[in-house]
Amino acid sequence: MTLRRFFLSSPIFLIIFLMQEALISQLRLPAGGFNLILIVALIWAALSTPEIGALTGFGAGIMMDLSQSSPGLLGQWTLVLIIACYTISFLGYGNDNIRANPINILLLTVLGVIASQVLFLIFGILLGQEIGTSRSVIYALAGSLFWSAITSPLILKIVSSLHANIFGLVRRI
Amino acid sequence: MRYGGDNRGRLLIIALLVTSLFLITLDLRGVQVIDGLRSGTQTVLTPVQKGGSWLLTPVRNFFSDVTNLGRTRNEIKKLESENDALRLKLLNRQNADAQLKELEGILDLAGTAGYEVVNAKVISYGSTSSFTQTLTIDAGSSSGVLTNMTVLSGFGLVGVVKKSYQSSALVQLAADPAFKIGVRIAGTQQIGILSGQGTRSGVLQLLDNTTRIKKGDVLLARGSQSGRPFVPGVPIGEVTKIDNSPGAITQTADIRFYADFSTLAVVGVVVSGSQTDPRDSLVPAKPLPTPLPTVTIFVTPDAEPTASPRASN
Repeated sequence: MTLRRFFLSSPIFLIIFLMQEALISQLRLPAGGFNLILIVALIWAALSTPEIGALTGFGAGIMMDLSQSSPGLLGQWTLVLIIACYTISFLGYGNDNIRANPINILLLTVLGVIASQVLFLIFGILLGQEIGTSRSVIYALAGSLFWSAITSPLILKIVSSLHANIFGLVRRI
Repeated sequence: MRYGGDNRGRLLIIALLVTSLFLITLDLRGVQVIDGLRSGTQTVLTPVQKGGSWLLTPVRNFFSDVTNLGRTRNEIKKLESENDALRLKLLNRQNADAQLKELEGILDLAGTAGYEVVNAKVISYGSTSSFTQTLTIDAGSSSGVLTNMTVLSGFGLVGVVKKSYQSSALVQLAADPAFKIGVRIAGTQQIGILSGQGTRSGVLQLLDNTTRIKKGDVLLARGSQSGRPFVPGVPIGEVTKIDNSPGAITQTADIRFYADFSTLAVVGVVVSGSQTDPRDSLVPAKPLPTPLPTVTIFVTPDAEPTASPRASN
């Protein structure tokens, strides 16, 4: 059942991946812009069980690793997103105070984006990658925080509706 | 109810984590299948990215117009009187003109040095969420663009081709934190290593601590064997700040790159370097100071002093 739902959701992530690569990466937004697939994966995970969350992280991570602009090794974003999505699902699972409140989901998502990037950075350092000056890293993280905080509320409704349709849940945010 | 997990769930998580670690290991060991996966994805994505670039051109032009609203107010007023089709045509023409100007700059630079270049359009910028500075161009191995080739703009060095696919290529910008290049200073010929910093500024580390550099010194690429990854003589940037800390083992300086990486639309990939080293011939000319008009007034005193009005009264 879990795998069936995972495969049902994969076309959605494929479309988001194509949107990210073909449209969003062309916009040249100030402060680095945002990563749609990362935001959607974290919102999706926040609405799912930990197993689905981890599977979502795996699928989204593979897509991010296959992106031509990904500098890391294949599997690096996968590892980061499995951990991040599982953690977010785990924090929200069974706790209606978190799940029923959109603000909490948004907060989890935005924090998850930053935490994922920091984790990616740490793995990058451990694997011997150059990360640049602390100023450029802080600038990139601040830009990501800003854009994630703007984008997440705009897409939360759409993502939760798609999630509810696939997983057959009545409750929607 | 707090999630406790079951054996099946734990097994799934462990399997996923192990798979990702397995992928990292394979990539670290340079297994061909992994490169094939990325090449395949890029081959599929290139037409989509080209379509996206075409689709978003009016949007980008719109944002550009909004940014320059104050400067182009008169032009906007004139355009308001024209119909939509003409306006779109004009926007497309402006875009093409800007690209043509960039292209002229590249060809001037390449012509002076005797480089053979393949021109390419920028179709995508890499996301900075991975802390790198890259862009994708629409020319690949089918156009003769291979890995480790120098990429230029009309102002100078842009970066180096990191990966080449059939009809596109990934360019690592000079601003990328992992970017390093051997440089020499025009005129004095001092050599050093320039590193990207994630911004438009780079850091130069001189190899000889006894010589001195000064603000405004121009940096050129030293060049590599057979011109790959870097052809010699390409202008890179100029010294903006010098760090002369006493006791420092090596002398360092801040460099501002000539190329503005955020506005690149067209670039040139050097597919064949010149037979001879262009030396300092590509150093950009210093801007000439604008002469200020001066007015000289000659005052000739009268021979007979005139009486003052008070005196005449």
